[in-house]
Amino acid sequence: MKAKKKLSTVLALCITLLLTACAGKETTEPESTPNAAATADTAQAADGADAKLDDLYQQENQLFADHKDVWDKVFGMMNKSSADPNGNYADYLAGTVTSNKDSFTDEELQTLNEDIETIRGIEEQIAALENSTASDDTAATGSSSDTASPFSNFSGTDYDGNTADGSLFAQNAVTVVNFWFTGCKPCVAELSKLNELNETLKSMGGEVIGINTETFDGNEDAIKEAKAVLESQGAGYRNFSIDSASDTGRYASDIMAFPTTILVDRNGNIVGDPLLGGIDNQDNYDALMKQIQAVADADSADK
Amino acid sequence: MDKKTNTFSNKTAKARGWIQAAATLLTNIHLPNLCKGKIYQGNAKTVCVPGLNCYSCPAAAGACPIGAFQAVVGSSKFQFSYYITGFFILLGVTLGRFICGFLCPFGWFQDLLHKIPGKKFSTAKLKPFRYLKYLILIVFVILLPMLVTNTIGMGDPFFCKYICPQGVLEGAIPLSLSSPAIRSALGSLFSFKCLILITVIVLSILFYRPFCKWICPLGAIYSLFNKISLLSIKVEDDKCIGCQQCTKACKMDVNVLKTPDHPECIRCGACMKACPKAAIHYQFMGKACKSSDTHVKNNTNKNKGDF
Repeated sequence: MKAKKKLSTVLALCITLLLTACAGKETTEPESTPNAAATADTAQAADGADAKLDDLYQQENQLFADHKDVWDKVFGMMNKSSADPNGNYADYLAGTVTSNKDSFTDEELQTLNEDIETIRGIEEQIAALENSTASDDTAATGSSSDTASPFSNFSGTDYDGNTADGSLFAQNAVTVVNFWFTGCKPCVAELSKLNELNETLKSMGGEVIGINTETFDGNEDAIKEAKAVLESQGAGYRNFSIDSASDTGRYASDIMAFPTTILVDRNGNIVGDPLLGGIDNQDNYDALMKQIQAVADADSADK
Repeated sequence: MDKKTNTFSNKTAKARGWIQAAATLLTNIHLPNLCKGKIYQGNAKTVCVPGLNCYSCPAAAGACPIGAFQAVVGSSKFQFSYYITGFFILLGVTLGRFICGFLCPFGWFQDLLHKIPGKKFSTAKLKPFRYLKYLILIVFVILLPMLVTNTIGMGDPFFCKYICPQGVLEGAIPLSLSSPAIRSALGSLFSFKCLILITVIVLSILFYRPFCKWICPLGAIYSLFNKISLLSIKVEDDKCIGCQQCTKACKMDVNVLKTPDHPECIRCGACMKACPKAAIHYQFMGKACKSSDTHVKNNTNKNKGDF
C-alpha cells in the first residue's frame, strides 16, 4: 500500500513537471526548426557563415569597447525610433555624430570618424554574408522563407462582393487588422470602438479592416450574420472573407484567442506583437494607439 | 476471501486509478499540441467528452459539456441547448456519477492530490456545502448566461469565465506558457482564477474531492440521475452483516446501507473493497456484475436463448 502511495505521488509530480517541461522546450524549438529543415550540407555552410558573422560583430563591438567613453556619449544621443534597419549602420552612426557635432572635441570626432569608416567596411561584409545565407535558405527549402508576411499575397472579398488584394496595405501608412468571429462576445463588444478608430485613422492615412474567421471561403450564412452584427454595432469599416487555405487564412487559423488585433505596414509586413483583447478596454486602446503612432511615424520617415 | 478477489466489481474498483488515467489520456489525446500551444479544432471537437475537461486545453479531444452548454445557451442564435441536455440525460441515465469516479480528468486530478501524504480531514460535518453545486449549476451555468446578455442577445459563459479551475489548469496555463501574446493579455481575472485553482488544490490535499462535492455543476447534473441510472450499486441483504465498514470507507460521506444510490455516490467502489462479505457490487439494468465467471455464463445463456 505504501509503495502504491509513493508511486502515485511520483506520478503526480511527473505530470506537473511534464507541463513545465513543455514550456521550456517551446522556447528553444523555433530556433532549431529552420536548421532542421535545411539539408546537412547547407546547415554546415550556414554554421560557417554564422561564425564569420559573429566574428565581424565582435570586431565592431571591440571598436566600441576601445573608445568606450566617447561611444557611450554617442549612444546616449541616439533616437531609437529613427533607426533604419535596412541602411548601412555606419550611415546611421555618422548621422548621429554629425547632428551632435558640437558636443565632441576635434580629437573625439577624429576617433569617431575613423571608427565609423572601419565599421562601414565591416557592415558591408556582414550585408554580403547575410544576403548569401538568405538566398541559401530559400534554395534549400525550395519555398518562401519563414519571414514572409502572411499578407504579402492577401486576397479578400468584402461583404458587398468587392475584392481586394495586397495593394490594400500599400495604400495605407498603417493597417489595423482585427481578427474576430460572430459568436465571440468580447469581439462584438469592441466593434463600435474599432469603427471610431477607423475614423480617427483616416486622417493619419490609416485604416481598420476586419477578418471574421466564420466567414472564410465565402460562407454566405456566416457573412449574413456577421453583416447584421456589424450593422447592429454601427461598424462601417471593411470586413473581408478570405480563403482558409491562403497564407492569411492559415495565419488566422493559428490564432488561439480572440479578438486579436495586429498592425500591418505599407509593405504588408506585420509590425510588433499581436494585441489580444478588446480595445474597449482603455489600456488596450492606449497600447494599440502607441503602436499605431510608431508605425505611422516610421512610414513618414521613410518617405 | 477467494470469492472476494474474484468479484468483477471489485476488480473494476481496484483498477480505478488506471481507468481514470486512461480516460484522462483519451480525453486529452492530442498531447503534442500542449507543447505547440495550438488547440485541436477538428470535427471531434463538436462532440462532448463525459467529464469536466476544458475545450481550450490544447490536447483536448472533445468539448466540455458544461462549457458547450453555456456557449449555446449564451449565444444569440439559440434559446436553449437541447443537444447538450440530451447528452446529459443519456450519460446520466446510463452511468450517473460513475463518470465522476472513473472518467472525469478533474476528478482524477483531485484523487492524485489527495494521495499526497499528510493530515486528512473528514467532510462529514460539511454536508450542507453539497447544495452549493446545485446553486452554481442554476445560477452560473443556466440563468446568468441566458439572461445577462448584450444588445444582440449574447451572454458570457459565467461558470467558465469566473469559476472553473479546470479551465485555468488545462487552458490558460498551457496556452500562456507557449504564447507570449496570450501571456501579455493575462490580467486580474486570471489571477483571481489562479487563486481559485490554488484553493481547490490545497483543499483537495486536505479533503477528498472538495470540488466534486461542493462546486461541480457537471457532478450536480449527473447526481440527479444517480437514483435511476442503469449502472447502480447493490447491497445484498442476505450477505450483509451490518458491520458498517462500507459507510466508514465511503469518502463521499454516503450511508451505503441506507442509500447505495445516493446523489453523492461517485461509484468509486471503496465500499466494495471494504466489505468483508463481498455483499456490495455494481449492477447494470438490475443485473449483477458479481463475479466475472457467472457474468460471462449469464451472457452466453441469454444469447443462446435469444437465438
